[in-house]
Amino acid sequence: MSRDTTSATDRRTYLRVAGATGLAAFAGCVSTTDDEEDAGGADDGGEESDAGGESGDEGDAASDDADESASAGPYQIGMVDSLTGSLSAFGERNQRGVELALGRVNEQGIDGRDLELIVEDSESENQGGIAAAQKLVNQDEVPFLIGAVGSGVSLAIYESVIQGTDVVQLSQNSTGLNLTDFPGLLRMSPSGRTQSLALANLIAEDGYDEVAITYVNNDYGQSLTDAFVDAWDGDVVYNTPHDQEQQSYSGIVSEMNDSGADAWLFIAYQAEFTTMVNEVYSSGYEAQFYGADSVSGDSVLANTPEGSMDGMKIVVPSAPVEEENYQTFAADFESEYGQEPTSWAAYAYDCVVNAALAIQAADEFTGAALTDTVRRVSAPEGETVTSFEAASDILAEGGGPDDVDYQGVSGPIDFDEAGDPVGFLQILEVQDHEYAGTGFIEG
Amino acid sequence: MTVLGYVANGLVFSSIIVLGSIGLSLVYSIADFANFAHGDTMTVGAYAALVTFGAVGGLGGAVLGLPYGFFLALLVGIAAGAVVAVATERLIYEPLTTDSIGLLITSIGVAFVYRAVIQIGFGADFTRFEIGALRPIEWLIPYGIRVTRHDVAIVASAVVLVSGLHVLLQYTDLGRKMRAMADNPTLARVSGIRTRRIRYWTWVIGAGLAAAGGVFLGLFNQLSPRMGFNLLLVIFAAVILGGIGSVYGAMLGGFLIGMINQLTPLLSRLGEVLPLVPDGFGIPIGIEYANAIAFVIMVAVLLARPTGIAGEEAV
Repeated sequence: MSRDTTSATDRRTYLRVAGATGLAAFAGCVSTTDDEEDAGGADDGGEESDAGGESGDEGDAASDDADESASAGPYQIGMVDSLTGSLSAFGERNQRGVELALGRVNEQGIDGRDLELIVEDSESENQGGIAAAQKLVNQDEVPFLIGAVGSGVSLAIYESVIQGTDVVQLSQNSTGLNLTDFPGLLRMSPSGRTQSLALANLIAEDGYDEVAITYVNNDYGQSLTDAFVDAWDGDVVYNTPHDQEQQSYSGIVSEMNDSGADAWLFIAYQAEFTTMVNEVYSSGYEAQFYGADSVSGDSVLANTPEGSMDGMKIVVPSAPVEEENYQTFAADFESEYGQEPTSWAAYAYDCVVNAALAIQAADEFTGAALTDTVRRVSAPEGETVTSFEAASDILAEGGGPDDVDYQGVSGPIDFDEAGDPVGFLQILEVQDHEYAGTGFIEG
Repeated sequence: MTVLGYVANGLVFSSIIVLGSIGLSLVYSIADFANFAHGDTMTVGAYAALVTFGAVGGLGGAVLGLPYGFFLALLVGIAAGAVVAVATERLIYEPLTTDSIGLLITSIGVAFVYRAVIQIGFGADFTRFEIGALRPIEWLIPYGIRVTRHDVAIVASAVVLVSGLHVLLQYTDLGRKMRAMADNPTLARVSGIRTRRIRYWTWVIGAGLAAAGGVFLGLFNQLSPRMGFNLLLVIFAAVILGGIGSVYGAMLGGFLIGMINQLTPLLSRLGEVLPLVPDGFGIPIGIEYANAIAFVIMVAVLLARPTGIAGEEAV
């Protein structure tokens, strides 16, 4: 009798603890509270970083003196990247671009000092991204933050860490549409709105008037899908989100098949899309696939059966591959890593170079000064240059931020008022289980 | 897709969850704590099988579309899961003089270690076994069932493993000792059972089944360092629904949760499926809420029966 009671109590305690732990871990309750605190504390953060900025001034002044002895410490900026999680393939590509860019910048140096990039992992999740950004902004006191990959993560970082401070945030890979609503949040990759328009035209040109859509259940998927539906004249017969990292999507693919549409549009991430393709294949369904940029990748090809996606068309933001500076970049990249660069590596490369030029053009190493110069060094005014060396030389000879117009390897950059760049898109088609470029669209 | 088709998909998915749930419940009943590293034990098994399969290759013939080498890899995966779990028990859980809550928190840490080691070794990206994907079985398609021979292999293997466990628990000396120990460890000990050895065996069986579940999950979907962890929440739901500590409850709970998860698309078209309900009637819930529905049902069952379906009634 007493034994039973004890064991019942144990079970109850267990349930309580397991429940609480589960809630905390999965629902992110703890983290939500954190967010609010951060949002509240952002002002304080701003003051702190102002203070940090002032001391940075002194440091700068000191470094001017110390320049002759050339012993000043490096300029430290931060980067939040998807090193793990569902966007880790992008993180890997970014890191290659970043390494190449850092090598370039530090070969030349910025006024005799090096550029140091502190990279933190976002785990491809909002919470991880916020924690990483907090560490960089509050602890390392960086005035310039490159981040993040996922649009939701970039926005979460901006809203809970950056907004209200004068730290500059430049996202390397986010294409979500709603980033356009935040002019303070810059990005190197073009907005997804151009992608949605291109997809709508492409599917219509191919003669389909019904489409079934599934999109990843976050800012990126939702905003691209909304823009697509706005631009699409035909019928949307199926439109359902899916969560990331589920173990099965057979429900989604069978419903897409039941919807009767012959054109299926996937606005998904690579891992989830791979699962879906395998499930479509092993269920024996047939359809013409279309996809946003996030579904393309070597790991998708490697992990799907031969012939399962042939004829699929994907619209991806692309670097101007015919330009000379891109070809130099591609050649360097290939000799370093033994493979062709992706646009995502090119965006990350340009983020670092643009940041380095902003630092060199600024009077002082503070967020306020960098906010001013980051747009101007790559804006259309000034002499057109295609490498860090050339731009850096102009600045070193006394040129101001308006005297250079850095043309990136990923495009002309030229941030508009909303912080979005001018973009290029490429249409890829899957042929013999390989991606083949079939044309370009201007952004 | 027809109702039969959804049921078939549910059966495949349930098989994997059942394999995971049994181990979790078994370890809870004998080692007396909720092992949060259980999901990552599945991952360990899957990656051990991936390495083995890569090394030995197909080995000639094939059963149900799966080469012999895969079954060897499955055995190695099971062994690897068991070895890792027993080593963790010896090195970490056993020397710790703490209560079940302390062990629970420790196991969360252990889970991170497993995952990090796999990530260091294999990277964060996903991968699949080098086994060509199959088309659905032709003669089942007219019935609306679209499963491959791999799916059949998953269900069959799960049935074999679960039956084996049933025989072990009911008809062998080890099984009797395990049941005795689950009921009352002190009494088991004074009556001469070597409880420490039984605990090791529990880990071997629980982790071995989890590892098998992990290998099948890799075959069914794909391998990634977070695969097991992502499934853990669902497995906990299954175990609690079935009655924590009860092996047969875990089987039932795993089966139910897997089925509910895969049958969700039917909710919006109940009218076509059920008799006596007008066509066109349906509960308009999208399948993105599949897990939420499974949890709502779990909560409803627990409200009616707080110890879970097969849990012992507290007196």
